[in-house]
Parts: sequence; C-alpha cells; structure tokens
Amino acid sequence: MDHKIAVVGDKDSVLPFKILGFDVFASPTAQKARETIDSLAQQNYGVIYLTEAMAKEIPDTIKRYDAEVQPAIILIPNHKGSLNIGKNRIEENVEKAVGQNIL
Amino acid sequence: MKKGKIIKVSGPLVMAEGMEHANIQDLCYVGDMRLVGEIIEMRNDVASIQVYEETSGLGPGEPVETTGEALSVELGPGIISQMFDGIQRPLDTFKAKTESNFLVRGVNISALDRDKKWAFKSIKAVGDYVEAGDIIGSVQETKVITHHIMVPYGVKGTIKSIEDGEFTLEDVVYTIETEDGIKEQTMMQRWPVRRGRPFKKKLNPDKPMLTGQRVIDTFFPITKGGAAAVPGPFGAGKTVVQHQIAKFSDVDLVVYVGCGERGNEMTDVLNEFPELIDPNTGESIMERTILIANTSNMPVAAREASIYTGITIAEYFRDMGYSVAIMADSTSRWAEALREMSGRLEEMPGDEGYPAYLGSRIAEYYERAGRILTIGSEEREGSITAIGAVSPPGGDTSEPVTQNTLRVVKVYWALDSSLAQKRHFPSVNWLTSYSLYLSEVGSHLNDELKQGWSEMVQHAMTILQEEAELQEIVRLVGIESLSEKDRLTMVIAQSLREDYLQQNAFDDVDTFTSRQKQFLMLDLILSFETEAREAMRLGAYFKEINEGTEALRDKIARVKYISEDNLSQIDEIKQEIKDKLHQIVAEGGMTQNA
Repeated sequence: MDHKIAVVGDKDSVLPFKILGFDVFASPTAQKARETIDSLAQQNYGVIYLTEAMAKEIPDTIKRYDAEVQPAIILIPNHKGSLNIGKNRIEENVEKAVGQNIL
Repeated sequence: MKKGKIIKVSGPLVMAEGMEHANIQDLCYVGDMRLVGEIIEMRNDVASIQVYEETSGLGPGEPVETTGEALSVELGPGIISQMFDGIQRPLDTFKAKTESNFLVRGVNISALDRDKKWAFKSIKAVGDYVEAGDIIGSVQETKVITHHIMVPYGVKGTIKSIEDGEFTLEDVVYTIETEDGIKEQTMMQRWPVRRGRPFKKKLNPDKPMLTGQRVIDTFFPITKGGAAAVPGPFGAGKTVVQHQIAKFSDVDLVVYVGCGERGNEMTDVLNEFPELIDPNTGESIMERTILIANTSNMPVAAREASIYTGITIAEYFRDMGYSVAIMADSTSRWAEALREMSGRLEEMPGDEGYPAYLGSRIAEYYERAGRILTIGSEEREGSITAIGAVSPPGGDTSEPVTQNTLRVVKVYWALDSSLAQKRHFPSVNWLTSYSLYLSEVGSHLNDELKQGWSEMVQHAMTILQEEAELQEIVRLVGIESLSEKDRLTMVIAQSLREDYLQQNAFDDVDTFTSRQKQFLMLDLILSFETEAREAMRLGAYFKEINEGTEALRDKIARVKYISEDNLSQIDEIKQEIKDKLHQIVAEGGMTQNA
C-alpha cells in the first residue's frame, strides 16, 4: 500500500518541500498544527515531517503517535536552525533499544 | 447380643475379633466406655472399626457391641439453628449434659430434642392415599422455614388416622394402613448418611444462585443445584468467601460444615450469624442455618462422617422442595482424615499418600448435589448446591484433592495469594477461574434484566484479559510505549478491578450487592468506556481524558457504597459522564495551548 508524505510547520520553512512533491500544510499556531496532524493521521499519511519549533509546542501530540505504527512523525529543523529536539529523540530511542547511548 | 473383643487399637482405628455377626458400615459401641464407631472393613470375623471419639485408654480385650444399624441421622423438627458435631450430637446439649467445654467420651445423647413440643398442622385427611415423599403436614419450625413432614421412604398406603396439635418427636402423629399392616408414624425419620436419599429425576441446573458477591455473580456464577470448588492457599480468604455465600445467597436453607478448620472460625459464625439479617426474608440468617462442626482438635474419624451428615440433612430439606446450599470448609481436611484412616488400615497408598479411592469418594459427595424432582406423587422441585473449600498445601493446585474435585465440579473460584497480598478481596483470580454455567446463567439473566447482560460480562472479561497482556508489555518497556487506545484500556480495566471486582465483606453496604445494582455498576463502568473511546475518536487526547475525568472516576469508585435504596444516583453519575466527556471534546486541547 502506498503512503503519502506530509510536511507541517510554519509557512517559511515548509514551503520549499512543495518542490519535492510533498503535501505541505502550513500551520501558524500550535492548535492548528495539532488539528492538522490529527486529521492527517486519519488519512493515508505514512510520514509526517514536523518542524522542531512547532514540535516544542505540541509534545502531547507527538507522544500520542510514538506508539502507533503510522504515521511516523519525523522532526526537522526549520529555516532558523536546529533545536536538537529531533536528534535527542533519536538518541533516546537508541538508548532504549541497546541500553546505552552509542551515538 | 454376642460381643466381639478388641485385639488392636491404633489411634481412631480399632480391630476386634469375634464379629462374624456384624456387617460392614454397622455402628458399634467400642470398649467399656461405649465409644461410637463404624465398621469400615471386615476380614473373616475381624472387623476394623473407625471410632468417632478419642480412643486413649482403650485396650485389647475390651468388648465391642454392634447395633446392626448403619450410621444414621435423625431428621425432624428441631434441626434448624442447631450446631452438631460430625455424628449429629447437638453441641449445646452436649455441653449442658457434660458440663465441659470439650468433648467427653462415651456420652450418648439424641440428636433432636425429645421433650420439646411442636405444633403440627395436617394437610392430608383420613382416607387419603399417600406415597413415600408426600407431605402430610407441617410444623413452623422457625420464622422462615416451614418444616414439612413427609411420609418416610418405603411406606405407602391410606391414612388411617391423623391429628393436629402439639406433639413431641416420639408421639405418634399419624398412622398409615399399608399392605403389611398399620404403621404408626412420628414426625421424625432416620436415614443412613452414606446413602443418598432417593429422588425421581435429576434436572439440569440452570437457575442462577445469587450470592451478592460481584465477582462470583457476574463472572463465575453458580446455579442452584451446581457444585463449586474454592481452592486457595492460607490467608487467601476461602473461609470469608464461604461465609459470605452462607450469609447472602438466595437459598432457603444453608448447611455449613466446618470440617477440620480452626475452632475460632465456627465461633465467628456463631457470633455473626444471629445478628445478620437475611436480605431475602428480613429475618436473622441463623433461622435458616444448620451448623456441623468438627474443628481441627476434634476426633479425626468424625471428620470423615461430618461431610455425609451435612449432605444427608441437606437432602432431607431438598426433598421438602427447598433449595439448599451446603458449604464444606475444608474438603482437604476431610481427605486428610480419609488418608489417616487408610494409612492405619495399611491400604496401598495412591498419590501423596491419599487412598486410591479418594477420587470416587469426592465424586460421590459432589454428585449428591443437584436439582431434582422429588419422589412421591407431588413431584416438588428441590436443589442442593455444594460448595467445597479446598486447601492445597502451598497453594499448589496440582495436588490430588484439588484435581479430583475439579473433575466433578463445574465452577472453579481460584483464590490467589498474590491478589490477597495486594489486599484485593475477594481474591478470586479472574484469569484462572471458570464457571461452566456462564452461558445458562447468561441467557437466564438476559431474559430477566431485559438487557444485554451476557454481552456486557463478555466485554468486561475481554478488557480484563487485554489488561493482563498489556501489563506484560508495560513491565518490559514501560507504560510510555503503549498507544493511547491501550492506555485507556488499562484505565478501564483498573476501574473494573478496583471499583467492581473488589468487594469489602466487612462494609455494611458493600458486603452484599443485588443483581440490579450489579447491572447498574457494570453498565456505568462500560458506558464510561464507550464515552471515552468516542471522545478519543473525536480528537481528545488520552491525557486530557485521564486528567479531566479524575474526579468523575472517583465517583465511579464510590458507587459500591451507594445503598440499595438510592440506586437512582447511579443514573445521575452516568449522565455526568456523558456531559463531562462532551465538554472535554469541545475544549479539544484548547486548555493547554490557549
């Protein structure tokens, strides 16, 4: 089964992804982002890219999909640079899986 | 009559020679003290006798006299509210006569009071044709139990004379003209305990017995005429479960056999029961209870007999058309008594030293339970529900007594020491227990309550089973790794466990739950689930539901303390659940981000 990819975040950061053919959803507020992600999860989206700046505002929403198979929410830096949230999450998961931070 | 002579004494087992005139299962008087005993084995003229009293001081050469009669119980008015020992000697008269708190040997007292007069009211008239089992009249024995006087087994004919009035048990109340002459009858009859009383037909037990215990009535119900086993290690609450059922089950009469357990437990019964009010009749429950006590310091052989004495009395009341429940606490002590006698008889031991016939003896006892049509021309319907506690050593249910019991009973309430340690009472483990009557009771209750009772029960059980699976994941990787849906399942299951299954036997309201209240409580918890799942579907997060309904769930937890008269409060809470969850959906995360 084919899945679609969505990008969610502030308008300036996500717009360039349109060139690559991703579905882009600009959300100016956290509330809007939460609603967008919840509705995307109901549809056929396998991967949702979310800007770190926005992720900081809606930790509950991200947590909610942590235990679900799909969609996978992948955090990306925005145009202002990385907040390291995405990388920390990967490190955390690695630690959970192998018992030690090997990165 | 010719007397035998003792040749060997080994604890409660006495061997006597010169007994060729005696038969197996005859009652004997043993020794100069005339202790009561029963012949359990015959080899040529040597009889092995199990003595129902302490045998110290007995020696070879002393005489043994057989009565030629089997061990029997006396059945008639005066039996209810009494406490008997294993061979039906009333313990209070015993104490008055011997002026001792302990059993004195060689005392011969009749089981039923011979001097007391009972008001007999006939319902049959002179000239009526009666058969064995027909009711010819009745005595109002206690406020709740009418003692029907039945024509004894083996007698039929026309009534020659019958009168109303005050009689003692020895007075002739009616005479019957039979084929072999006129027979005079009193209000009392005798029956050998080891033989089941006859009945016409066994029926399928399909009517539920309400015990007022939620975990039992909802998930593992027993029917009137069914048989159940309650195995559990020490301290798991076997005795409390048995007491609760004896107190609150909706049967007409309860026979409680305290068999080899602590004397204090029988004292508890004697202290508590007279004060308790039966929710079905409004009278003291002692008015419908018969106690048989053979505590751990009483003679071992009488323990073996106590179970049979109990069930014979139960059968007698069953024949009157009553539904009777018999509790035996505990059948393991009874099996140990069998083992002790078998060892002394030098029989070949089976598993764990129990005799090879353990299984057939246990089956024999439980098979005397059932729903039946009585003999006689009236065909009343009566039932005996047998509930036996089993105390497997170390809580290991793979031992012979538990295994042989499970082979014959259809309901298994497994008490779990780990639940008891968590203070979850009654500690009936919902994953290992079972009831094979579930579908019969379910369809019966579906008709009675007019709602999908069995689906609700099934659904609740599914949630509890899912929880057990999820618990394993949580133990491995933590609660964080569960999806929102699963975490909600955990919350509902917790509510089911703590708010529904747990029941406080020592709380005035919580100790008994009527069927209607059980239905409302279960419905409340499941409607919370439906609403919460719906809210989640509409976009609410688990965290919001969990935090938003904290006060509400507290209210659900307190529902068990709502008294039976105020059940409408439960509906109010149900409405509150709806309103609250609609509100959570409407806010939809606004609270934290606004």
